Amino acid sequence: MDVTESDLPGVGKRHKVPLGDGRELVIVTHNTGTREVFVRESPDADSEKLLELSDRLARTVGTILEGAYFQPVESEHVETMLSEGTLLEWYAVDEGSPLAGQTLGDAAVGERTGVTVVAVQRDGDVIAGPGPETTIEAGDTLVVVGDRESCEAFEATLLGSAE
Amino acid sequence: MADLLEVGVLFAAVAAVGAVAARLDKSVIPFYILTGIALGPSVAGDLSVAGVAVPSVTASEFVDLGAELGIVFLLFFLGLEFNLDRLLASRSRIGTAGTVDLLVNFGVGLVLGFALFGEALAALLVAGIVYISSSAIITKSLIDLGWIANPEADPMLGTLVYEDLFIAVYLAVAAALVAGGDGLGDAALSVGVALGFIAVLVVAVHVGTPAFERALRTGSNELLVLRAVGVTVLVAGVALAVGVSEAVAAFFVGMGFGSTSQVERLEGLLEPVRDVFAAVFFVWIGLETDPALLPGVAGLVLVAVLVTTPTKLVSGYLGGRTYGLSPRRSARVGLGMVSRGEFSLIIATAALAGAGAGLSTEVAETLYAFTVGYVLVMSVVGTLLMQYSGPFEAFATARFGPG
Repeated sequence: MDVTESDLPGVGKRHKVPLGDGRELVIVTHNTGTREVFVRESPDADSEKLLELSDRLARTVGTILEGAYFQPVESEHVETMLSEGTLLEWYAVDEGSPLAGQTLGDAAVGERTGVTVVAVQRDGDVIAGPGPETTIEAGDTLVVVGDRESCEAFEATLLGSAE
Repeated sequence: MADLLEVGVLFAAVAAVGAVAARLDKSVIPFYILTGIALGPSVAGDLSVAGVAVPSVTASEFVDLGAELGIVFLLFFLGLEFNLDRLLASRSRIGTAGTVDLLVNFGVGLVLGFALFGEALAALLVAGIVYISSSAIITKSLIDLGWIANPEADPMLGTLVYEDLFIAVYLAVAAALVAGGDGLGDAALSVGVALGFIAVLVVAVHVGTPAFERALRTGSNELLVLRAVGVTVLVAGVALAVGVSEAVAAFFVGMGFGSTSQVERLEGLLEPVRDVFAAVFFVWIGLETDPALLPGVAGLVLVAVLVTTPTKLVSGYLGGRTYGLSPRRSARVGLGMVSRGEFSLIIATAALAGAGAGLSTEVAETLYAFTVGYVLVMSVVGTLLMQYSGPFEAFATARFGPG
């Protein structure tokens, strides 16, 4: 695929993108930032204007086309490295989890797995610094801190697959 | 005293006819000039309705200076968007199309000018006036018609770049010759000073990029605009003070700024400044025009229109062919290059400035009225030819084939 760029003195820049079926996408970027998008059915045809976008809108549309903007999160949880070896992780509590319905004190995940639950996300609210009396409910998201081994052990406990 | 009411009338009128031009899908330039003529002393100045004088605009110091700034900013932008590297990169195609355009139109202009005025300097000025196409009108029409995305935009914009560089040198020489007084020695001296000044500016542009970069490096839009305007107008003023065309100086300052990383910000921020003062320039052109002189030059204008419309069609067509375009698209290139506008008027202004020196007052005034009439016709004819290009394209395809 050969994208060609040419200068348009006094106007801006023009990019031509071949679409593979003989058609060509032509994007004129004005110095003002406005983008005009044209399509040419064949090399002989005239350009037909599809749309005109402001600079800002063009960037938004561009990132969506690129797949970077509303990229779905595929993994079950998000993993963030706090420092060498220490992770900050988010775990969803499913309906069938053995921890659902227990208080944090009863679940004693600290002693059993080595992680600390630092927050509970529930219905859009965040319970920061939950105490031993806080009940874990199905549908919660637990924010935990621990090393990788502890986090893996916690995940196993949460899923009921430990030991 | 610059009368605030007069300036208010000027801008309000420009805003109103600008809206009309946009509604009619026509270039604003003839509308602004006609507004200037209508508001001027010869028309509105003598009118009164029920005993109350119709608001008119006299060529006050503000309008004169505003028009001067209009010229400076028009040429500054030309320089800002002019890229020598770009010209050199595609020099063979731009060079061929541009040289054909120059030889055909400038050559015919020289012959025409000599036939109309019978003297060499007037012929040289007429040649410039009929040679240079209007960047402003053509670029706007290209965008409005969507041709900007088509291959025909390339030879058109490329030829405009070639014309711009030529006109920068030409203006310097022409302004020097017009102001040059008597005798070959004086003329040679002023042309020498002008070319020397250009040489200094070219060197400054070439080696000055780091300095320009430093001078323009600021996060504040206000400071950036003030610095750019300050440098441009100061250099243009110095040029004028030493007898060199201020327009050419502004062109080279623009070229110097064009090689910095601030070029896009400058374009965005200074475009409104240019548009405001360019509007004042076109109105001023109208104010300076004595409508009574127009009927006298109608014959000259008619001859020039009939001769120089076909020459642009031919040179544009040939230019399109050197870019490998089909006859249909080449025909469009020809039609698109017909518009003449701001630069022809700037040359006429230079002619008027030299009235009584290099040119006799009578020739200068006739030349000026001729240019106003010529630009009024050619700016309208040019946009119309682009809007109704269909029959011309069909003719080109039928005559020269589809490929």
